[in-house]
Amino acid sequence: MSVILECKSLTKKFGSTAALMDLNLTLERGRIIGLLGPNGSGKTTLIKLINGLLVPNEGSLKINGIEPGVESKKIVSYLPERTYLPDWMKVSDTINFFKDFYADFDEKKAYEMLKHLNLDANKRLKALSKGTKEKVQLILVMSRNADLYCLDEPIGGVDPAARDYILNTIITNYNENACVIISTHLIADIENVLDEVIFIKEGHLKLHASVDEIREKEGKSIDSLFREVFRC
Amino acid sequence: MLRKLLRHELYATGKTLLPIYGITILLSLLNRLVTNIDIFNGPMEIIPAFMQIAYGISIVATIIVTVIIIVLRFYKNLMTDEGYLMFTLPVKAYQLINSKLISSIIWTIISVITVILSLLILLANPERLELLKESIDNIVYILKISFGENYVLLTIELGILLFISMIQQMLLIFVSIAVGHLFNGRKVLGSFAAYIGINTAVQIALTILMVIWSLIGGSSLEELGSIPQLLFPFTIIMGLTLSLLYYLVTNYIFSKKLNLE
Amino acid sequence: MQWELNTDKPVYLQLVEQIQAGIISGIYKAGDKLPSVRELATEATVSPNTMQRAMTELERHGLVYANRTSGRFITSDENLIKKLKKQHITEITRDYLDRMELLGLQLDETISFITEVSESNNNKNSV
Repeated sequence: MSVILECKSLTKKFGSTAALMDLNLTLERGRIIGLLGPNGSGKTTLIKLINGLLVPNEGSLKINGIEPGVESKKIVSYLPERTYLPDWMKVSDTINFFKDFYADFDEKKAYEMLKHLNLDANKRLKALSKGTKEKVQLILVMSRNADLYCLDEPIGGVDPAARDYILNTIITNYNENACVIISTHLIADIENVLDEVIFIKEGHLKLHASVDEIREKEGKSIDSLFREVFRC
Repeated sequence: MLRKLLRHELYATGKTLLPIYGITILLSLLNRLVTNIDIFNGPMEIIPAFMQIAYGISIVATIIVTVIIIVLRFYKNLMTDEGYLMFTLPVKAYQLINSKLISSIIWTIISVITVILSLLILLANPERLELLKESIDNIVYILKISFGENYVLLTIELGILLFISMIQQMLLIFVSIAVGHLFNGRKVLGSFAAYIGINTAVQIALTILMVIWSLIGGSSLEELGSIPQLLFPFTIIMGLTLSLLYYLVTNYIFSKKLNLE
Repeated sequence: MQWELNTDKPVYLQLVEQIQAGIISGIYKAGDKLPSVRELATEATVSPNTMQRAMTELERHGLVYANRTSGRFITSDENLIKKLKKQHITEITRDYLDRMELLGLQLDETISFITEVSESNNNKNSV
């Protein structure tokens, strides 16, 4: 298994407060990884750093051996925790947009997934509900054959049916060459899907281990371990 | 990649701007028609009056909406949630700026052409065109008298100057928005403050430069004859320098200091 | 197949147990072709890596075998399945007897209790 993400002493400060502090982390391809931590623990900061939306103050971050930039953006597929597509676009416009800019975008796959959801590609995003818009974004992001997927809070605030849809989409699109990072604070919902978990607390890495290892050693669920580590 | 960015840029802005330009041209055609056929009598007179007002509005809108769309597009597409999409594309930050700048230049030129064209459609007839030609000849004549052979240089300089100031104004707006976004939570207010601040700073700097210039005994800039040799070249170089500065600062903020909420 | 996963035991072990149970109860028949790892993973909503690990474990026990070209199959060895079934039943029974013993019941008391309960069950069913 080759390394896809490597962080060394990664530090990001906003003014005097450190959102991430001296983070060392190595992630391998072929894994589905939960990035877990309460709100404000630094999950989104890490994901933004991976995607070049923030620049670190100290330390380094490398994706497939390269620093965030044009080349890394070609192989990272990012789902932010917000709706980020222009409202006036039709679903088909967004597909063309992705096709235009990402060489690894699989248009056929995207249309198949849309069909599966019974979604009309001629509809404007404006006319879609928030939940449907989020599904369109997920389809776009998962239709890329990327090396690293960063899904920021994909299951925050969705109903169980939508959650199952999201998890199924992630599993069916899994390939052993790619790593999937899912950030969330709702652990119980997804822990069976994860191979590894990363706990971050107040910008510090608390734990990085395989899920089965934790269950074997601790004899408890990730969720209960999480509650212990993050007890207020 | 720049070509793709530009294509999407023109598409996104054109869907609002082209209909407005189209309406302006259409209204000028209709107004021309209405003034030529005099069939509106009595209460019907309200129709040509209404159409003239509509035309007036459309002319103003052509220019104003173009500016508003340029500003809003830059802000919304890069500094709000849409920024998450744009800044994670596999392109350099400067390519994003370039695509916005080029599209803004294109629309500004098209909007000016639209206004001129619509005025010609509405007003042009043989006598008026003759009059227009005469006034242009007159201006050239005056320029020749005032500047001698330099009048050609002056005209070229004036063209460049207009073009540069257009770019300078756009880049000033861009850099203000970029600086404004650093004020987390008060991005819009921050952008206005940055615009006023940068403008004021530039004015003060220019005044100081002028004072120094006259102190070291440079020839007076107000002197008419020195316009082509001194004032215009100076203004062009200033415009270029400031444009470059705005561009570099915007690029620096986007690539090193980006902080979308 | 209905997957019921709890959260405090390694997921792959639970998958192994449930597939074993499926084989014993006949949901998966001897010689049946299994769905792909990805399909099974989607069905159970688990990581494909975990499902793969469960398959490897089952292969190690000989309950499942992989054919390089045509996929993965349940063993055709009926004896092995019988053995597994017996082993499974033995485990459950032993566990039950242990618990009865903890409650202070002698073996003959437990047996007569089993007879009693199953008879009343039969009566209830026939009514």
